[in-house]
Amino acid sequence: MADTGTDPATEARSYRRRRSSVRREGAGDRRPSSRRTVRRRRPGSGRPGPGEKRRARLRQTVSIAILVLLGLAVLVVPPIVDLDQQQVVLRQADLPPSTDHPFGTDEVGRDVLLRCVYGLRVSFTVGIVAALVATAIGVVVGAIAGAFGGWTDRILMRLVDTLASVPHLLLGIFIVAIFRPSLSAVIASIALTHWLSTARIVRSEILSLRERPFVDAAIVGGATRWRIIRRHLLPNVAPQALLAATLMVPHAIWHETALSFLGLGLPAHLASLGNMINDGQRSLLTGVWWTSFFPGLLVVVAALAIAGLAGHLRDRTDPQRRAELML
Amino acid sequence: MQIRLSRRQQAGWLLLAVTATAACSAPAAPASGDGTSIVIGAAWEPENLNPILGYAPNGASKIFDGLLDRDADLTLRPALAATLPTVSADGLTWTVDLRPGVRFSDGSPVTAEDVVFTYRSVVAPESQSPIAAEFEALETVRAVDTDTVEFRLSFAYQPWAQRMALGIVPRHALAGQDIATAEFNRKPIGTGPYQLVEWRAGERMTLRANRDYYRGAPEVTDVTVIFATDDNVRAQRMAAGDFDATALPPRLARSYEDRPGHQVITNRSADYRGMGLPWDLPITSTPQLRRAVNLAIDRQAMVDTILAGKGVPAATPISPAMTDWHDPTATFAFDRAEAGRLLDAAGWLPGPDGVRGKDGVRAELPVLYPGNDVLRKELAIAAASDLSAVGISARAESATFEQMLERRTTTAGVWGGGDPYDPDSAIYSLLHSRYADAGGYQNMGRYQNPAVDAALDTGRRTTDTAERRAAYRSFQQAYVADPGWAFLVFLDHTYVLRDGWNGLQSQVEPHDHGLVHGPWWNLEQWTPVR
Amino acid sequence: MKPSAPPRPSLAAAVWRLVLRRLLFAFPVVVLVSAGIFVLGKLSPFDPVAAYFGVRILRASPEQLAQIRQDWGVDDPAWLQYGRWLSRLAGGDLGDSRLFSQPVSTVIADRLGWTVLLVGVGLLTALSIALLAGVAAAWHRGGWFDRAVTSLAYAIEAAPVFWLALAALSLFAVQLRWLPAAGVSDTRADVSFAQVAEHLILPAAVLGLAQAPWFVLFVRQALLTELASDYVLAARARGLAERAVVLRHALRTGLLPAITLVGARIPELITGALLVETVFSWPGVAAATVTAATSVDFPLLAAMTLLATVAVLAGNLLADVLYAVVDPRVRADG
Repeated sequence: MADTGTDPATEARSYRRRRSSVRREGAGDRRPSSRRTVRRRRPGSGRPGPGEKRRARLRQTVSIAILVLLGLAVLVVPPIVDLDQQQVVLRQADLPPSTDHPFGTDEVGRDVLLRCVYGLRVSFTVGIVAALVATAIGVVVGAIAGAFGGWTDRILMRLVDTLASVPHLLLGIFIVAIFRPSLSAVIASIALTHWLSTARIVRSEILSLRERPFVDAAIVGGATRWRIIRRHLLPNVAPQALLAATLMVPHAIWHETALSFLGLGLPAHLASLGNMINDGQRSLLTGVWWTSFFPGLLVVVAALAIAGLAGHLRDRTDPQRRAELML
Repeated sequence: MQIRLSRRQQAGWLLLAVTATAACSAPAAPASGDGTSIVIGAAWEPENLNPILGYAPNGASKIFDGLLDRDADLTLRPALAATLPTVSADGLTWTVDLRPGVRFSDGSPVTAEDVVFTYRSVVAPESQSPIAAEFEALETVRAVDTDTVEFRLSFAYQPWAQRMALGIVPRHALAGQDIATAEFNRKPIGTGPYQLVEWRAGERMTLRANRDYYRGAPEVTDVTVIFATDDNVRAQRMAAGDFDATALPPRLARSYEDRPGHQVITNRSADYRGMGLPWDLPITSTPQLRRAVNLAIDRQAMVDTILAGKGVPAATPISPAMTDWHDPTATFAFDRAEAGRLLDAAGWLPGPDGVRGKDGVRAELPVLYPGNDVLRKELAIAAASDLSAVGISARAESATFEQMLERRTTTAGVWGGGDPYDPDSAIYSLLHSRYADAGGYQNMGRYQNPAVDAALDTGRRTTDTAERRAAYRSFQQAYVADPGWAFLVFLDHTYVLRDGWNGLQSQVEPHDHGLVHGPWWNLEQWTPVR
Repeated sequence: MKPSAPPRPSLAAAVWRLVLRRLLFAFPVVVLVSAGIFVLGKLSPFDPVAAYFGVRILRASPEQLAQIRQDWGVDDPAWLQYGRWLSRLAGGDLGDSRLFSQPVSTVIADRLGWTVLLVGVGLLTALSIALLAGVAAAWHRGGWFDRAVTSLAYAIEAAPVFWLALAALSLFAVQLRWLPAAGVSDTRADVSFAQVAEHLILPAAVLGLAQAPWFVLFVRQALLTELASDYVLAARARGLAERAVVLRHALRTGLLPAITLVGARIPELITGALLVETVFSWPGVAAATVTAATSVDFPLLAAMTLLATVAVLAGNLLADVLYAVVDPRVRADG
């Protein structure tokens, strides 16, 4: 299996488990059910052939190369926000792609390629910050639930299940609408809706770690609960958390573009990819397709590249864990 | 490439198109019908249909009639009034005789009491009418008899005749109610050429011709107004044949110029877009600095690109379309060098990063615009870019109207407004120092200039037309010497209309995008082409 | 909650127990979400009185504002306000929408049907694509078709839905003028079946296409797993035709879970509807939610959020019930 991104089949399995975790109330003292699911290996089934393996490696290399390229572009462009608004050359508005302007110019004569790089930076910043905040929330909640167990666990997991019952984008829209669109409102709306799966992963990871001998040893040695969480449990869930955070970035970027497209995202003067698509769609009817097409294309490319990178990370992860990492 | 991407999916799309429904007929032919009905795509939806609360204060309301209304040249003519009003020699008493035999759509006759009620309600504080300020000259209004009304003004206010375009409401339908929440606001009763059939807020309004209209029943009998604030949505629905007519921004309207069966209508307007400058911010605190800001802006480029040529540069709030009042010598050249010299002379010198500064203060001027208004956004970005070119760090920022009002003393804001009927109504509360602290959409920049005050007061209180013209000319000269705004452009309003009707007449338009003004201002006089 | 169940409970009993358990879970969830909405609303700068007045607030007298604040109880303790709100909710009064000048319940009643229609047809489209493409891809695993379908699925999954919608709209409605661009019927025509069907094609197809990748990959993967299972191997060993093996055995066992999981895809469908309805001016609840959000119509927005929560819970319940009906092992798991 060289698939990148979401794997519906594993999602189906994790779905079954999710259901059963809801059913098993007060399961904090038990091993996570995923451990009980024995993956049946059958001859000649899901095992990739040599061609697929080669393609998978290629895909990962390309993904990483694209990400490096995008990252360089974002870093090299001067970090002055105002510059975006000084590129206005009204006499050069709506020019189609050419060698001077590979992505064309927009309705006030700004270079779309340059704006895309700004937009990428804004969207990446929003995506990464939101993913980190969401992961942090998820790790803290998951660690507390897993380490303390009992009522704490039950209440926190009930909270997770509750939040999971509200569609992400809708809750995001609600938050941004009542707090008025701004950078912090958008980041908050993404972070507050995307920490649930991380919390579930970290919790189940910690539940399994708790039964490992070194934790018993620490308990016998008289270590406090917080010390055990800090010293023994958290370092062990870090790789999973990192992977979850990486996988969350494209989702967060997607979320930002969707909010901005609906006019509920970042302030309209910020060159984010979502705002650019929103601006560009107005010109679509006059035949100016490049102002919305290229920002959208960048969203797709960035998302696929990050998914490719995440696939790379995932393949180096315990296969038992993969199922739960599917966001 | 947009299209290429989609074509790759085309096979799939086709398959879907076939499987999704077998009942799918060919796309409907344009729905023009026999011309007795029309579908208008409106960019703006009224909050209510009550003239007391500001619905269509300049007539053309479709549902109501004023005492007077305007013809294509904006000349006032009697409507519910039998003749033009008679004015006393001192200009303070205006007497109007009502046209006999006119009835409201509920069958009750129009009486002087209805007129008195309408005008009293507008100025009564408890109605919170947004147009009350324009009626502040009114001292008392009384019914002399059942068909004669007498207005007493507190000063000789010559533009009062313009205020008589206000729609008249039936007293019995509103008396004793809280006007702000009355059911009438959504179920109006008027005397106009059309009656409201249904109003689905946020979606559509349907009107039917008033068969008993005193000027004769309209031939276009069924009017559907579809509300779509998004320019793109209107353009799509016009293209798809959903609309017979709609307002479109010039760039979107242009594609219809050579499409058979359609015409593009361009109406001149007194509708300005301008940047209100904060009187108290250091970089815009003196007349020279504000002149520098005005000289730094390339207005012609804004007209050519952002308006696609459909508009004219603005220097003052008096539109060139108001030929009786406009002073063609009151303009600002686009002169970056002169702007730079003025800034230098005022002690604002360029710093290492190109941004000017004085006494440790950087020349920063945020430019706010309402986030959902594309035109104002593009103007704000272009103006900010022009200002950056002369060393003023200007950044366009989106905001809400409330935020723009809150921050009006420290930021510039891109505002819009204006009407072509008389200079007083648009300018007085915008630039007179009396309104500097009035709040709301009145003198947002806190502009205070004694010469401008004097000219505006003369223009308002003089009855002689030639003297009034002279007063507004001296206003324009005084204003460009000490501008409080950077007025940017006057828009031409552009519309697309399917062929099929006679009777269209072009009219200079005020700041409005709804079903009131526009090519359909005299819809009741249109006739289908047979 | 371990049922003292007989070794093989009847299907009906198991399903009833399931439904009951899920409802017991759903009730606190809805209460909790409503509390969350209320707390967020209280934390936010949103002021119902300011929203009611809009720009007119500049002309309102302080006495007038104070009177309204008192009448509405805006400054009462939060728990009291929440209690009032909740009791009205329980009584079926969702408040009034300022934007539509209608009771929220009327807004929802007028529009819910359109959304259900769009989402339903979109879902059917997605399932049809999944069935055709997923089976074909799995059948010829590793072939060019499989690789193309898989890559395209990931690309579409990564593409913003509204971007696809804009592309489809500009191509089919604006350039080619094959299909109407917006609404549910031509403005002049009455809402008829043919009219709606014609207007439904574009939005439903985009929604279906955007939802399809997940189902395609699901069907493909499920089928691959089944094809490698012992009984398929046995069937093949018995010399059954490949066609029969795939269609009769594998497909049935592979596709069923996909259908049962439809209920669990409700959140994604709601997300898709929010964007697709907005692009195509579809008069459903999702587009109304977006308009409510842009003009901060709190009562409508809050009701929509609650409604979506209920829909998600109902979807989960549906998935569980279908799954229990289809898969006997779950029943035993009780």
